[in-house]
Amino acid sequence: MSRILILLYPLLFCGAAMGQNNYDASLISKDLLPHASAIVRNDDVSVDVKDLDNVIYHEKKAITVLNKNGDELAHMAIFYDKNIVVRYIKGLAYNEYGKIITRFNEHDFQDESAGDNSSLFQDERVKHYIPSITQYPYTIEYEYEVRNKQTLNLDSWIPIPATSLAVEKSSYTFMCKPDFNIRYKEINIPGKVVTAATKDGLKTYTWQIAQIKAFRDEPYSPNWRQYLSRVIIAPERFSYYGIPGSFTNWEQLGRWEYDNLLKNRTSLPDQTVRYIKNLTADISDPKLKAKKTYEYAQQKTHYISIQVGIGGYRPFLASDVDQHGYGDCKALVNYTQALLKVAGIDSYYCVVYGNTDEKLSMLDDFASMQGNHAILCIPFKNDTTWLECTNQQMPFGFLGDFTDDRTVLACTPEGGKLLHTTKYSTEQNLEKRKADFILNEAGELTGNMETVFKGTNYDERNTVIEEAPVERIKHIKKYYPINNLEIEKLEFKQDKSRQPVTTESIRLSAHEYSAVDDGKIYFSLNSVDRYTHPPKMVRNRQMPVYINRGYTEEDEINYTLPKGYHLISEPLSVTINKPFGSYSGIMIPDGNKLIYKRKFQIKDGTYAKETYQELVDFYQSVVDADNYNVTLVKN
Amino acid sequence: MKKTLLFLTLLFASPTVFAQDFPFGQVSTEEIEMKKYDKDTSAHAVVLNEYGTSRIILASDNYTKVVFEYHIKIKIFDQSQFSKGTLEIPVYNGDNDAYEEVEDIQGTTYYKDENGLQQKAELDSKQVFRTKKSKHWTILKFAMPALRNGCVIEYKYRLSSPYKENFHSWEFQSDIPKKYSEYQVHIPAFWSYNASLKGHLKLTRNVADLESTCFTYGTAKCDCSHMVYGVSDIPAFVAEDNMTSPKNFLSAINFELVDYISFVNGSKIKYAKEWRDIDYQLKQEPEFGGQLKRKDLMKDRISAAITGKTDDLSKAQAIYAFLQKWYKWNNFIGIYSTDGIKKAFESHSGSVPDINLSLVAALNSAGINTEAVLLSTRENGFINTLYPALGDFNYVIAKTNIGDKSYLLDASDPYLAFGMLPLSCLNDKGRAFSLDKPSYWIDLGTTQQRESITYTYDLTLQDNGKLKGTLTRYFGGYSGYERRKAIKKFNTPDEYVENFGEKLPKFKILKSSIINIDSLDKPLGESYEVEINMFDNTNHNRLAFDPFILNKITTNPFKLAERGYPVDWGMPSDERYILTVHLPEKYAIENPPQEVSFFMPNKGGKFFTSFDGNSNSFTFSYLTSFNKSVYGPEEYPYLKELYNKIILAEKNEMVFKKKS
Repeated sequence: MSRILILLYPLLFCGAAMGQNNYDASLISKDLLPHASAIVRNDDVSVDVKDLDNVIYHEKKAITVLNKNGDELAHMAIFYDKNIVVRYIKGLAYNEYGKIITRFNEHDFQDESAGDNSSLFQDERVKHYIPSITQYPYTIEYEYEVRNKQTLNLDSWIPIPATSLAVEKSSYTFMCKPDFNIRYKEINIPGKVVTAATKDGLKTYTWQIAQIKAFRDEPYSPNWRQYLSRVIIAPERFSYYGIPGSFTNWEQLGRWEYDNLLKNRTSLPDQTVRYIKNLTADISDPKLKAKKTYEYAQQKTHYISIQVGIGGYRPFLASDVDQHGYGDCKALVNYTQALLKVAGIDSYYCVVYGNTDEKLSMLDDFASMQGNHAILCIPFKNDTTWLECTNQQMPFGFLGDFTDDRTVLACTPEGGKLLHTTKYSTEQNLEKRKADFILNEAGELTGNMETVFKGTNYDERNTVIEEAPVERIKHIKKYYPINNLEIEKLEFKQDKSRQPVTTESIRLSAHEYSAVDDGKIYFSLNSVDRYTHPPKMVRNRQMPVYINRGYTEEDEINYTLPKGYHLISEPLSVTINKPFGSYSGIMIPDGNKLIYKRKFQIKDGTYAKETYQELVDFYQSVVDADNYNVTLVKN
Repeated sequence: MKKTLLFLTLLFASPTVFAQDFPFGQVSTEEIEMKKYDKDTSAHAVVLNEYGTSRIILASDNYTKVVFEYHIKIKIFDQSQFSKGTLEIPVYNGDNDAYEEVEDIQGTTYYKDENGLQQKAELDSKQVFRTKKSKHWTILKFAMPALRNGCVIEYKYRLSSPYKENFHSWEFQSDIPKKYSEYQVHIPAFWSYNASLKGHLKLTRNVADLESTCFTYGTAKCDCSHMVYGVSDIPAFVAEDNMTSPKNFLSAINFELVDYISFVNGSKIKYAKEWRDIDYQLKQEPEFGGQLKRKDLMKDRISAAITGKTDDLSKAQAIYAFLQKWYKWNNFIGIYSTDGIKKAFESHSGSVPDINLSLVAALNSAGINTEAVLLSTRENGFINTLYPALGDFNYVIAKTNIGDKSYLLDASDPYLAFGMLPLSCLNDKGRAFSLDKPSYWIDLGTTQQRESITYTYDLTLQDNGKLKGTLTRYFGGYSGYERRKAIKKFNTPDEYVENFGEKLPKFKILKSSIINIDSLDKPLGESYEVEINMFDNTNHNRLAFDPFILNKITTNPFKLAERGYPVDWGMPSDERYILTVHLPEKYAIENPPQEVSFFMPNKGGKFFTSFDGNSNSFTFSYLTSFNKSVYGPEEYPYLKELYNKIILAEKNEMVFKKKS
């Protein structure tokens, strides 16, 4: 998890007077210092729902920065848009001994567009500031209040939003009228909620934590959503951009989304309707109809990020996409859905968390606005088909690693439904290679190699394939660690079926591939598919081991050796079997032939944290075996 | 390669008929049917025609403006270049009434529809988005409609700007090829500019003409010079690794304002012409010379830092170190102080010019002769040394002169040693300015220390198969700076060592020490007592051993058959490695490593290994050194071969054999 998360920290707030606490850095408990660049001394957040269109967020936070690396953790950033008004910001900075050194207010903050440069438009803005203090440690204490005009998205509480940050004390209070009902979910919260009522009869819910150590970035950790302490809150009744609604489960939320954000946005110009009808008229198989229609949408549209419309939730009209030929994921899903409808095929608009590194699912037991991407689902009987609509190259029915194997929300006229996308198994995600190499006495390697990519590995070479032939060769050289590699021929074939396959064929040569010295020849046995570094060890690991995706690599190289030489190295023979994966690397000498066979498999899943050292050792053994060197000697 | 085209002394050709802008809204069948670009069949898109004009006019609000009109037509063969259909126009809003404006954006996409019929789609003006990025910048963005493989897009717009000193430059070359690109400028004689053409492309069309009384301001009238610069058949620019800014090599034409006639009194006002004018201008500039003069301001503030220091060098080092610690850089660069050095000093925060101008003032206040040096960073491209101009400088450092030596200083980074510049500043030449001398050019790279790393490993093979001993590494010069930055990313040196150990599963770190972390002038040293899990035991008859241990390069960084642009590393570098291994009595060396050596021509660089051993112990060492900062394309094959030799040397395996 990156430190950038601090910027995503929700817009929050509370209300004590400033400047009365003792922020002497020496008061911080020594227990909190390991791996910490900054310490949250105190953070009080309160959310006060005054009305369905009036929520006051208040946060007062003090953070002590221990060294330069902690500066970014004290970076104050307040995001806002049309729905959010920043009421005030003020703050103080203290030195090591807790003495005030400077004050700041909203004028010191820079106001910028929060949109990334790749978006055509995004209306979110940010006010941000880092005070310049060169003496460490120092403490920043600030307080701000914002008003939010909607109640659909109530901010979560994430008291430790980043690595290298420890917390002395942090609390969150949610306040509302007696008739405003919420549902909440506590994830990794050590304590329990405290509920109470104020003098004015308001309900309050309070959570707090104290003395939490900083955590480190550990490789193979699950997504932060799995392990960070957080509380998520959803309203029962809400108002969003003036649209009222209510929900307590996915079925109702999905129905609200369909009725208010999606319905009646699929009408198309007559010309397009006629075209699609013609296109599919002679096809009887509905799957072929759908494929034809999807391919039409692919060649007609492309993805451009535009975040406008109701909080970025409502897709553009299908007719606009028809005219402009572009749209964001929502617009393109809606457009493809509209085209399919013309062809007589029903489909579901689905909201998903798109993420390549971690498969993220909608929380089964907690309905709220989740996800960051949209895809389309065609519920063919016994053959649910998923379509990614933002990619012109994707085969029909293939999802790839951005949205596979996770729970998504389908928004349908009958209400919301949780569905699960296609899983590609360890065996399906395959990279299989076969090579015939000839090694001569001068050390030159020549030969042919064919590699097949399947499952989510299917699109592994797409960035190379998109290039022009000359550029392809430049790029492909970076994939193979063969010294002095020259590519004489390079071809790709793609079979864009439901189980797509990419085939790469290479004819290659490499002079001085092997080192020749004094009647000996040295060369690396595996020059095509090798690991060079194991993952780093983690002492006192905290997180379970999470392997996001299983895959299989199979390599077979048949070497023809120069005549008159024999092998003096001990033949390689390594076999390892672990719960999370397996490896075998063997070398079979056979006259002047030498056959190398390698199979590497890693299995997705979550494993106990104690497994981690085993995983490191596994990879270390793989690195050793993959980097095995052969020595030949002249007879 | 650059050449200067001077307007003022042009002999105008007899009246010529000028080609005007190509018509908007027309596409030929040939353009629509085009399947590939014959001159570059690998192109995913090609600019069919590109045309721009800039002229200075008197606008209706009675301000003079530079009006830039741009018109382009692009053939897009496939979706990998759909990005050419999304355009971004940054627009500057000044503090007062001065602001830039974009008008008349028009665009059309021509394509063949599903039925094979030619269609066109117009850009909807409602789909042009405006985002206020920051206080001064607004970004206009639009995406061309109805893109599909084989389409032709065409768009144009007009940008008017009050900033005559930022006369629009023109880039002939881009990442896709162009059939033709032309720029026309109309400049009233009231203004004069220097134009410079850079890059290797030759103009295929270059015409000059005089337009009589084309500009009137009240009663003042003048002629305009009208220049046409055209290039046809422009190849795509392909960037390579380890090169400096592509800007250095892209063919383009730039304009620098020389002088203009004041409408108030008719006098000629020099914007910049001779270096002495620029020197004077900078001296008078409150945010530059004005700051350098504030010696007294700095005098008290640095007095404590230099108490007890007697010679100039130690005073200078103390002042430099004091300001390095005092300031936190606010991530802005430039040549003019933003808020003045007084405010910057008080707030501990400043831009590069704030920090380094206060360094210059502080050193001078201590009686140490110091100049400010303006330069252009590597990302910004080489500086133009042909004619005097300030426009391309984007960074300022200090040059302090002590005895017959001088040191280049940048106090904005706390980890730079005295006399060391960050890599981004090592870019050809800089211009040194002082309050009392004419300015002059200096070479930026000559005083930079080379990167120099030394590894000394001393290991003993134990009976249990483990290697035990010490690893020592020294990082000198710029590599020391880089290593310090890496260490400081951790909260403590211990956490750095922990991370180092965690990356090496076979290594157990028994003891460690890191020296000179804060002594920036000395090499940074790391020393580890380790135990390495090398062999499972010592019962084998033969043990294969790789003497490079941690120092392997697995692939050659240079993979191209040939190269078009120089490899620019900024500074020379050395890497030395000395491994000593002691073996148990029962083993002897059967197979010593091959000794390899390779020397680049003209002492450009070398790699060699050496081996010295007796029956029970040996020393293996290598040296890699690159003596130049920049290697031309003709030296590229030797660089590649040097790395090939390193990799070949690494393939050799040593064998320890059990004595019988």
